[in-house]
Amino acid sequence: MVETSNTESTLIEREQKLAADLKSRFGDVLEITIKSKRIKIKVKSERLLDIANYINNELGFDHSTSVSGVDYPNSKEFEVVYHLSTYGREDFRDIVIAFSTRISRDEPKTLSLINIWPSVEYSERETFEMFGIIFEGHPKLEKLLLPEDWNDIPPLRKDFKPPGR
Amino acid sequence: MVSGASTNIFVGKLKDILEYSIEEPLNYLVNWGRLYALWPVHLETACCSVEWGAVSGPRYDIERWGMLAAFGSLRQCDVLVILGTVNRKMAPRVRMIYDQMPEPKYVIAMGACAVSGGLYFDSYSVLQGVDKIIPVDIYLSGCPPRPEQLIEALIMLQNKIRISKIS
Repeated sequence: MVETSNTESTLIEREQKLAADLKSRFGDVLEITIKSKRIKIKVKSERLLDIANYINNELGFDHSTSVSGVDYPNSKEFEVVYHLSTYGREDFRDIVIAFSTRISRDEPKTLSLINIWPSVEYSERETFEMFGIIFEGHPKLEKLLLPEDWNDIPPLRKDFKPPGR
Repeated sequence: MVSGASTNIFVGKLKDILEYSIEEPLNYLVNWGRLYALWPVHLETACCSVEWGAVSGPRYDIERWGMLAAFGSLRQCDVLVILGTVNRKMAPRVRMIYDQMPEPKYVIAMGACAVSGGLYFDSYSVLQGVDKIIPVDIYLSGCPPRPEQLIEALIMLQNKIRISKIS
């Protein structure tokens, strides 16, 4: 049992170390929230590629497990969230980074991170069709899951009216 | 007595009599032939197909009532059992399968999702009842229906076939 509590405390320590490292490097462009096993990093969209490259190359978070969108109609923004984890670094293996950025709702464009994490290909396509967010630089930004004859606004936006409601 | 007009009347009456006398037994014979050899299409859209598997198996054994186990080619089938949720992407395919089946064809909408959309009634991707795209003969409620309910639906369908007219 002593060992378990030890690893718990080291988990928090490792997370704080990771967060401190990021803060010292990109302090002005990001917000960091730390929870157990989860670090949320919110960056400004101009520095998205820099910080993503740093997280991939220096911190060793080598793959993305999901890409999702969040709709904030009141502040007219979309948030794109990449969940990142690592195979390469053993000390960060139990940590998931939620790497997010906010973009304008009227012109939903962001840079695709497919050159950094190739596994985002399908997730970015799904986010594209569910929210209408355009990922610039994605090689095949087409419909993935929706019907071929879909003729409506993207269905996970808040102003979409589902049938039967 | 035997004139052209009266011969015409006599032949017309004879035709009526023959039609009346033969229609009932012919109806019976054809319906009887259809009743106990219903071939279902093997189209599993969702999880109700597990109950369909149970009902085809030895414990419930729907073959005792005359519906055969799932079979390969839909172009030789009579019954389309919609096994669960049909989503909007699947809907044109279901319609295509229905159109390929030969007449007479019957549809059983199995489960709450196939009847009305069920749990997913307000989803962007699920059809609100399969009767929006194809005519349904039997609505079978439940989530999922018990195998006994599927057998009951089959018996209801057989009753429907029994009283149907072929002409």
